[in-house]
Amino acid sequence: MPEIFIDGHRYEFEGEHKVLQFIQDLGKEVPFFCYHPSMTAPANCRQCMVKAGQYMKSRETGEYEVDENGDRVIRWFPKLQTSCNLMAADGMVILTQETDEQVKRAQKDNLELILINHPLDCPICDQAGECPLQIQTYKYGPEGSRFEVKKVHKPKRVQLGPRVVLDAERCINCTRCTRFTQEISKTHQLTITSRGDKNYPTTAPGREFDDPYSLNTVDICPVGALTSADFRFKARVWEMNQTPSIDITNGKGTNIDLWTRDNLILRVTPRFNSEVNDHWMPDAGREAYKIFNENRISRPQQKLDGEKVLSSWNNAIATLGEQIEDTDNAKIVVIASPHASVEENYALSKYTNLLRLNAPVFTSHIEEGTGDGFLLSDDVAPNTNGCRLLGFKELDKSAISKEIQKAELVIILNDNLVDRSVVSADQLKDKFVAVFATNNSETAEIADLVIPITTAAEHAASYVNVDGRIQRTYRAKETKYTNRRIDLEMSEGRLDRYGTNFDNWVTEDNKIDCMPMWEIVNNLADAAGLDINFKDGREIMDEIASSVSNFSGVSFAAMDEQAGIQLSIKKETSTSK
Amino acid sequence: MAYEFTKEDLQEIETIKAKYPEVMPATLPTLWVAQRRFGHVEPEVQRLVAETLGLPEAHVHGVANFYTQYYKEKKGKHVLDVCTCLSCQLCGGYEILHHLEEKLGIKAGETTEDGTFTLNQVECLGACGYAPMLQVTNDKYVNHLTKEKADELVEKLKSGEELEYEQIKMPQHKNI
Repeated sequence: MPEIFIDGHRYEFEGEHKVLQFIQDLGKEVPFFCYHPSMTAPANCRQCMVKAGQYMKSRETGEYEVDENGDRVIRWFPKLQTSCNLMAADGMVILTQETDEQVKRAQKDNLELILINHPLDCPICDQAGECPLQIQTYKYGPEGSRFEVKKVHKPKRVQLGPRVVLDAERCINCTRCTRFTQEISKTHQLTITSRGDKNYPTTAPGREFDDPYSLNTVDICPVGALTSADFRFKARVWEMNQTPSIDITNGKGTNIDLWTRDNLILRVTPRFNSEVNDHWMPDAGREAYKIFNENRISRPQQKLDGEKVLSSWNNAIATLGEQIEDTDNAKIVVIASPHASVEENYALSKYTNLLRLNAPVFTSHIEEGTGDGFLLSDDVAPNTNGCRLLGFKELDKSAISKEIQKAELVIILNDNLVDRSVVSADQLKDKFVAVFATNNSETAEIADLVIPITTAAEHAASYVNVDGRIQRTYRAKETKYTNRRIDLEMSEGRLDRYGTNFDNWVTEDNKIDCMPMWEIVNNLADAAGLDINFKDGREIMDEIASSVSNFSGVSFAAMDEQAGIQLSIKKETSTSK
Repeated sequence: MAYEFTKEDLQEIETIKAKYPEVMPATLPTLWVAQRRFGHVEPEVQRLVAETLGLPEAHVHGVANFYTQYYKEKKGKHVLDVCTCLSCQLCGGYEILHHLEEKLGIKAGETTEDGTFTLNQVECLGACGYAPMLQVTNDKYVNHLTKEKADELVEKLKSGEELEYEQIKMPQHKNI
């Protein structure tokens, strides 16, 4: 097998590898700015320099040549090489900054050059704290600059597009953003203009950077040149907690990170998953942070004499229990939801099954024209396939209406059926409508009983995407009834570990008075004298895995380990394009 | 004003495209065709070039902005690039520049009101041996400038006379 020697250690490799990527995969480090594993390597930042050479092999014998001391003879390449586009070869010798003074010096000098025109505005720069330039200058850079003349000034605060703001002075011209529009989103909207020390990325004159994936350029920008118009100046990176999650605004199930501070989700960034979204996510999904913060239903609500009033949990549970008891089982329709997780749907169905109610039905949420063949599908619900795999009956618009017409009690799990005009408000007029919902909506507005449930940011639960991959969320945000310090599954940020009580998580109003669906089901079952006792999503998933064959082998641990599990779904049910 | 290529231009662009396996390399020569036709490659002309070649606008913009020889704004009929880099400076480049500024009544970087002349101060054009010198509209060099020679040049250009290439022989070393 071909072998390569990095910093005196021998590694074997197979296939084609770029040296930089190979070193990174080993868990070691070489600094770089312009390289990105999903894009071409133009090697224009010159930061990833290494010393490279080749052990000499004798042509006749194929043996390594040895000098008089018995050491192998190395033929060094004439100059330092950029490791990002250097292909690993058999018998190659690489020295990185760890072992070679020349490489160390080259990287340091290169950083000094890059920093010549870079403004020192880290204290007010959004990128500070997650800035490769900042980190690498700290690790490998010079102590100071010998450049004493005025820096070049370039345009600042340029609104490149509706979502992206450019600060050209901070740009180090790595061309990651332009390569993104050329190679990944293929809109070709960005280019580098001018040359020398005056160059910076921009759009063609008079054109907007309205690429539906434009915010990815903000993520990959190794400095603070491209910033998000929405997130700008909202929070420092080190104040936030980063929690893995799944995009719930589309059926594609893009892997994301939720960034929380004081129990508010402040931004959404993509998380790498080679099976689903690689390093990217659509701009549309980034708006989702608002779903978790704004317009939430906190505390159960009940309609009394046609007016909505806040109720208590006991009252709400009792009311729903009574309604179910008082209504003829045939006249109760239970509508499960592709917008709710597998666990929530399962908990509801277990309850209705034990009560011998009609099996839950659901209707998929397709918005034609949303799909783009990349990271957006026409199916805008995160868990349509989850409902199908749980064996729920899928009804279309007219069938659902017919079901509702027959019913007196309509129980809806987190699905804004009125808002997406599956049913009209008139159709629900004379019926008792109980809604489990996360956010205020027209559907919640007309409901007689609204029970607030947790969003994907507040519970750990799984969703099956359009391609049948089951992936799970983590708790990112506290509710009134959870506590970050006690709940060991919640992520801890720097301020959680080292801050005082006053640094973080102080606004009580940001905690929503809501419960996970399964806890509500526990209470409902308790009131009805049934034996249901769900502890958390992890346990429910274990139960689903053992009782529903479609989910066999699925568990939170397995999902975490394999970044989601591919379930087998019927071809025609897949709506991904 | 909408810019359009003439039939001949389009034919020329087709021949240019035929030279290359891909369209992208045709950007530079096509920009030249455009600049010859319109006298500049303003953003609208860049857009026209992009549409004609079927290339992204941003790409054409980037290429046009990289090279100083493409005029990104309207210029005079004749563009005088007066070199003031080291050799020319030592031999009186600035004197020539200021003389031309006075004569044309404009500052470096400006265009005369009648749109005949644009005066630019530029860096080395690689003719240090014939300093001081200037270049006329990306084309002919006028070498060994004196104030009189500069005046003469302006009159010549005003009258619409064709400039001729100046041939300067290399100094011959006798005692090699």
